[in-house]
Amino acid sequence: MKKIWNFLRSMRFGVILLLLIALCSVAGSIIPQQREVAYYAENYTQFHPTILALQLDNIFESWYFIVLLALLCLNLTLCSVVRGVSLVRDHRFVQRVGLLPNAKQLTPEGVEKLRAHLTEDLHCKAVQTGESTVYTKHLFGRYGTFITHLAILLTVIFGALALYLPTLTDDTCMPGESIRMADGTDIHVDSFRIENDAGDLDFSSEITVTLPDGRKSDLQRIRVNYPMHFGPYKIYQQTYGTAGSITATNIETGVSEDFPLTESVFLTLDGVSGLWYDTLYPGYVQDDDGNITLINNVVGSYEDPIYQVQMAENGEYISMLAFPGDDLEVGGLRFHFNDPIDYPGLRIKHTPTVVNALLLAAFLLMTVGLYITFFLQPVLVKVDDEGYAVGGPKPEGMRLSLEALLESDEHTPKEDL
Amino acid sequence: MNTLMNVLFFGAIVLYFIGAVLQFVGSSFKKPGLTKAAWAVFLVGFAAHTVYLIVRGVVAHRLPLANQFEFATAFAWGVALIMIILNARFHADWIAVAAMPAAFLILSYAALQPREITELMPALKSAWFGFHIGSAAISYSCFILAGAAGLRWLLLARKESADSRKLHQMDYMAYRLIAVGFLLLTVTILTGAIWAEQAWSAFWTWDPKEVWALITWIIYAVYLHLRLRQKRSGKVMAWFAIIAVPVVLFTFVGVNTLMPGLHSYG
Repeated sequence: MKKIWNFLRSMRFGVILLLLIALCSVAGSIIPQQREVAYYAENYTQFHPTILALQLDNIFESWYFIVLLALLCLNLTLCSVVRGVSLVRDHRFVQRVGLLPNAKQLTPEGVEKLRAHLTEDLHCKAVQTGESTVYTKHLFGRYGTFITHLAILLTVIFGALALYLPTLTDDTCMPGESIRMADGTDIHVDSFRIENDAGDLDFSSEITVTLPDGRKSDLQRIRVNYPMHFGPYKIYQQTYGTAGSITATNIETGVSEDFPLTESVFLTLDGVSGLWYDTLYPGYVQDDDGNITLINNVVGSYEDPIYQVQMAENGEYISMLAFPGDDLEVGGLRFHFNDPIDYPGLRIKHTPTVVNALLLAAFLLMTVGLYITFFLQPVLVKVDDEGYAVGGPKPEGMRLSLEALLESDEHTPKEDL
Repeated sequence: MNTLMNVLFFGAIVLYFIGAVLQFVGSSFKKPGLTKAAWAVFLVGFAAHTVYLIVRGVVAHRLPLANQFEFATAFAWGVALIMIILNARFHADWIAVAAMPAAFLILSYAALQPREITELMPALKSAWFGFHIGSAAISYSCFILAGAAGLRWLLLARKESADSRKLHQMDYMAYRLIAVGFLLLTVTILTGAIWAEQAWSAFWTWDPKEVWALITWIIYAVYLHLRLRQKRSGKVMAWFAIIAVPVVLFTFVGVNTLMPGLHSYG
C-alpha cells in the first residue's frame, strides 16, 4: 500500500503522465478531430475502425485522456500536500546548513572577502549557528515549486470547469432586432458595421442586454477581441453576414412590409404568382458586350450587390437579375430591391463568472510560482573561519558564482597535498 | 524606404553568415583574432537587424510580429540578443560557435517568407498581441540557445583535456536558458488562453498550435524535473536540450505549414 502511495505522489509518475498526455496530444494534432465518420472512412480507409475504436477522432474528450488528466491532478495534489507539509514543518533547515562540512577551504582573506560579498553585495542576512554563520536570502523561494505545482493543479481544475460549464449559443440578428434567451434575457442589436472609422476591416455591433430582473446594460460596441460582459452573459462578435432586403407593397391596399432575406424564399399573395428570391451576389463584372459575370465571395461589405430572383406568373418562371433601387410588379405586389443589410453573427456565452476569475488567479499564481522557483532561489551559504559550503534546494548557481568570485583565494590544506 | 529595409535585412543576413564562418574558423584553429573579428561583424549585423525591426515597426504602426516572416525575424533577433547578453554578462563566448549559425539560419528562413507589410487583421488587434507573441519569440530563442549550449557541451566533453568547470558552466547555462524559456513559454500559453477567451470565447480549443505549445511545455517540464529533482546533468541533459530543439522548430514552422488551424495567419 505504501509503495502505491509513494508511486502515486512520485515525480516519476508525474513525468510518465505528462509524457502520455503529450503522446495523446501528438495523435490529436495529427488526426483531425471531431469530423464525421465518413471523413475517417474516406481518408484513413483501413485504419478508420481502429481510429474510431480508440477514440482517436475525439481524443481530448476520450475516457483515457480524461483519466490521464484526473491522475495528473491526483499526482499534483499528493505531491503538493506532501511538499507543503514538509516545508511548513521544517523549521531547522537553516541550522542544518550550518552543520554542513566545508565544501571549499579558504584563506582568512578569502573568508573575509566572501563575508563581505554576501553581506554587502548580495544583502544576505547573517544567522549565527554554533561556530559558523549561515548567510540567507530569498528564503521564501523554498515555496516556489510548491506554489507552481499547486497553481498547475488549480489551472487544470478551473480550466476544465471553464471549458465544460459554459453554454454557448451562436445566433444571427438583424440590426434593430433582438435575440431572446431561454431565461428571458434580451440581447438587442442596435447597429452593425463592417468597417471602423479609419475604413479598415473591423466588425462591430452596438448592443444592449436586458436581464430577466430588469437590469439593463448601457449601449456597448463589441468587436473581435472585445466582447461585452453583462451579468452571467458574455457576448462576442463572432461572424457576420449580408442579407438581401426587399420591400413588398400590396398594390391594392398599399400595405408594405420589409423582408430581410438570408435564404431562398417565395414572396406571394396567392401562392402562385410572386417573386422567388434565390440569392444575393456581392458583386459582378460587366464586359464590353454587356455580359455579366457574378462574383461569389468578397471580404467585407458588398460593393456592387446584385439580386438573383425568379418572377413567377401563372406557373411560368423567368430568371432575372435586379439591382438595388429596381422595382418589379408581379402577382399584385410591387417589389422594391433595397440596399443589402449587413448583420452580425453573435456568440452568446452563459458562464459562471467566478470560474473565470479563479482560473485567471491560477494563471497568475503559476507565473509567480515559476518566477520564484527560477529567479528567487533561496541563498543559504555557511561560512566559518576555514571555508564555506552552499546549501539549500538549488545551490548550483550560487556555488558557481562563489567559485568564480573566490578562484584566487582558495586554500589547499596540507593534508590534501 | 523599401530599399533601406532590404539593405538592413539582407545586410544582417550576410553579416551573420560572415560572423558565423569567422567564429567557426577562429574556434577550430584557435585564432583569437578571428573570433574577435567574428563578434565585431556579428554585432554590426545585430545593429542592422535591430534597426530593421524598428523601421518595420514604425512603417507598419505596430509591433513586427504579425506573420511567419516577422516572427522568424524577431526569433533570430532574440537568439542574437540573448547570445550577446550571455557573452557580455557571463563571458559565455563559447556559445557563439553554435548560436551564430542558428541566428543566421533562422533569419534566412525568414527571408524565404513573404515580406510585405500588411494591415493587422481584426483577430490580432488586441492588447495581448505583444505579450503573447513577443514572449513566444524570446522563449523559442532561449530554447535554441540551450540546444546550442548542449551541443557545445558535447563537443567539449569529447576532449580528454576538457575543463570540468567550463563543462559545468555550459551545463548550468543550458538549464538557466531553459528555465527562462519555460517561464516565457508559460506566459505565452497563459496570455494566449486569456486572449483566446476574449476572441473565440474559450480558453483552450485544442488547436494544433496550442497542442504543440503544450507538448513543448511538457518536454521542457520533464527536462526541468530531471535537472532539479533527480539532479541529472551533463551528457543526458545536453542531449535532451538538443533533441528538444526540433520540437520547438516544429511548433513554430511545422504546425503553421502542415496543420491548418486558428493560428494559420501566424
